[in-house]
Amino acid sequence: MNVLVHGADPQPSQGPLVRVSGVTKSFGGVRALRGVDLEILPGEVHALLGENGAGKSTLIKILSGVHAHDGGRIEIAGREVAFASPAESRAAGVAVVYQDLSLVESLSVGANLMLGREPRTRLGFLKKRQLMAEVGAFLREHGIPLDPRAPVSSLPFAYRQMTEISKALMGEVRILILDEPTSALTEGEERILFDAVRTVTQRGVGVIYVTHRLNEVFHISQNVTVFRDGTNAGNFVTAQTDMKQLVTAIVGPGHVLPDIDAPPPTSTAFAAAEPVLALTGVSNDRLRGVDLTVHQGEIHGLAGLIGSGRTEILQTIFGLRGVTAGDVRVADRPLGNHRPREAIDSGIALVPEDRHVQGLVLDHAIERNLTLPRLPYFSRWGWLDQRGALAQAGIVMKKLAVKAPNAATVVKNLSGGNQQKVVFAKWNQPRPRVLLLDEPTIGVDVGAREEIYGLVREAARAGTAVLVVSSDLAELLRLCDRISIVADGTIATTVDRKALDGTEALHHLIQLPRAERAQT
Amino acid sequence: MTDSSLPATAPDPSHTGPSSAATRAPQLRRLAGQLLQGEQPYMLYLAFVILLVVFSVSSPYFLSLDNFLNIGRQTALVSVIAVGMTFVIIARQIDLSVASTLALAGMSAALAMAHLQDSWLVGAAAGIGTGALVGLINGVLTTRLAIPAFLVTLGTLSAARGLAMLVTETKPVIITNEAYISIFGEATFFGIPAPIAWTLLASVIGILLLHYSIYGRQIYAAGGNPTAALYSGINTRRVTTLAFVFTGMLAGLAALVLSARSHAARPDVVEGMELDVIASVILGGCSLFGGRGFILGTLLGSLIIGTLNNGLVLLGVSSSLQLIIKGAIIVAAVAFTKR
Repeated sequence: MNVLVHGADPQPSQGPLVRVSGVTKSFGGVRALRGVDLEILPGEVHALLGENGAGKSTLIKILSGVHAHDGGRIEIAGREVAFASPAESRAAGVAVVYQDLSLVESLSVGANLMLGREPRTRLGFLKKRQLMAEVGAFLREHGIPLDPRAPVSSLPFAYRQMTEISKALMGEVRILILDEPTSALTEGEERILFDAVRTVTQRGVGVIYVTHRLNEVFHISQNVTVFRDGTNAGNFVTAQTDMKQLVTAIVGPGHVLPDIDAPPPTSTAFAAAEPVLALTGVSNDRLRGVDLTVHQGEIHGLAGLIGSGRTEILQTIFGLRGVTAGDVRVADRPLGNHRPREAIDSGIALVPEDRHVQGLVLDHAIERNLTLPRLPYFSRWGWLDQRGALAQAGIVMKKLAVKAPNAATVVKNLSGGNQQKVVFAKWNQPRPRVLLLDEPTIGVDVGAREEIYGLVREAARAGTAVLVVSSDLAELLRLCDRISIVADGTIATTVDRKALDGTEALHHLIQLPRAERAQT
Repeated sequence: MTDSSLPATAPDPSHTGPSSAATRAPQLRRLAGQLLQGEQPYMLYLAFVILLVVFSVSSPYFLSLDNFLNIGRQTALVSVIAVGMTFVIIARQIDLSVASTLALAGMSAALAMAHLQDSWLVGAAAGIGTGALVGLINGVLTTRLAIPAFLVTLGTLSAARGLAMLVTETKPVIITNEAYISIFGEATFFGIPAPIAWTLLASVIGILLLHYSIYGRQIYAAGGNPTAALYSGINTRRVTTLAFVFTGMLAGLAALVLSARSHAARPDVVEGMELDVIASVILGGCSLFGGRGFILGTLLGSLIIGTLNNGLVLLGVSSSLQLIIKGAIIVAAVAFTKR
């Protein structure tokens, strides 16, 4: 009996490609999976939804051979498997695209795609021309707009992600797992990705599609499975369900559903108040004369294309980049050419874009991470006030509802949403004067996203000036009082939220500077 | 592995006993949590016990107080410097220059007493100051010019040794100051020989700095994730540089102990000792990838290496064979203890 379906085999088999039944997994004392089921048919796109910590990532890591499951059964094309390594999983035809990229930045796109299986001459030398030709043909076939010769280090993030996806699509793939593939893609790039996914499903490949963006589910998938707290919370045929039903399954009964069509928050009387944060003509290697004011209690958005300088504005305010001209003022006091320590001491907090690299020391306990920016406050003549730090950590964890056994839990063992809450909690006490947020809900699920919006609004109500960078235009429209468009390292224009009637209008504003430049 | 030995975890049932012990138990547990930093170095304990048993059975001289004091004295130099090396390795760096720094600091101490002022304080200040200076150079070159510490300290390993030889054209400098010889070499404090007393002092300072001070938290963060530390307002360059300076000062202290015991400073002493120091720290549970490690582990690591040296001598193993056995055991032990 051989029901194995090769990627190139156009014949769909009878049974499911993947059958997961009653799979369990625990990390230390944390039960990540309490017995989940999942079936993937050949040629389907199967959306896998759930909050962070629901168990999606754990199941994916089991399927890809990173973790071993504790109990239950996993079958691939009818044969029970237990992968001991990612290599075994890959050999069985499972390809995974993670949110965290795994590319060799110094090599070209082509070299990355063929890494480890480069065409060679008999003496073992690389056949570079053939390699590039093969990769070029593959990219054309799938309509992926990448230059095989371009070094990965020169590519913007979205194109790196596309390289990563192309890498997974090459070779013998029977099951393709996409973990939030669109979180940093523009709409055009998203369309290309969806087309590529449809191309592979036509070859009989089964796709597991993990996402937090529910509208994508309706565009691309045929079936939906929802996880909650490590168990199945629902199976749906996409065509027979709707947004409301999915959200209910994800957050669970008894949750007050966020009103998705909520009107924008009415802006308060902040305009009359003195600005808390003021940038005048700020320039450095990436910025060209940024003028920006954020008032007490205001939530101010920064929108723009990737590479426009949004993140760099936040980094400059926080003292991670030098200032060559202009000045940054907090409550009318100039900061000058400051370092992060001075920024923190004058009440500025930064929740960075990449929580693993910039936000957290993953190997350390929650308490250690929480006290890090506030160490001077727990200092008595240089000695650490251990009890004070621990007590403070307990209070903040409770306030932000961080799900963890205790403050000594190592951050690595938390789910993505809870890790993000820890990053927020680092800056919660005392309340910052200026809160800088860089993509605050990236990789965060519906429920935790609402909690984070709540935290941001609460901070603004209490008088904090908030500056948010986000690629999610709907997020900016829901949160902000004013939005500034960033282009080419400067502020192109600033608009009142009330002047915008939807993401279309904002999208148009973002594209405008580019269009103007193209004309001249 | 979980952090069950940190505070705020469930009480350990094995600690319930008489009422006085019951009140002390939480404090002891907190202390253990601090000193072990969430590590559970069972393999380390096991390795030490096995060594003790093997040597006790095979040599009649091994199991005696005199011999243990002997081990303590012989281990002192390595232990003192290893305390500093723990900071450097937690900060994701390495310092290969410590043995040369020791030689240079010893020369500096002896020369200062011979030519500036014949006072033990002047000698101590010159020795420790020289060590601090070499550490400062290591730290500044590593953090400011972003040269890997491996290369910087490989350079100072050579340069400091060369300088030590240059100042007297490789001749030793005799030390006659009796206070100096007594304080750093031959006195006993409450029955504890001076070298062991200085080891204890260095260890206590190391424990206080690493496990109880703000600086300790900063160095763990700087090694555990330098970018996140920077984004939390920590001056990672300064924190890292200070680790090198502290190690240099402890190499200076070790130089005082060695020169006091031999009544002279020599430029060619302890060549290759950096290997014993680094092996002690890694054996003691420090991660070469930074962010993990603790002083008690380092001390146990250096005791294991000291005991090994001592036991092999007592068994009459030839010195060339000793080196081979030691190398093999160190690699094997690290392979077993690393996670």
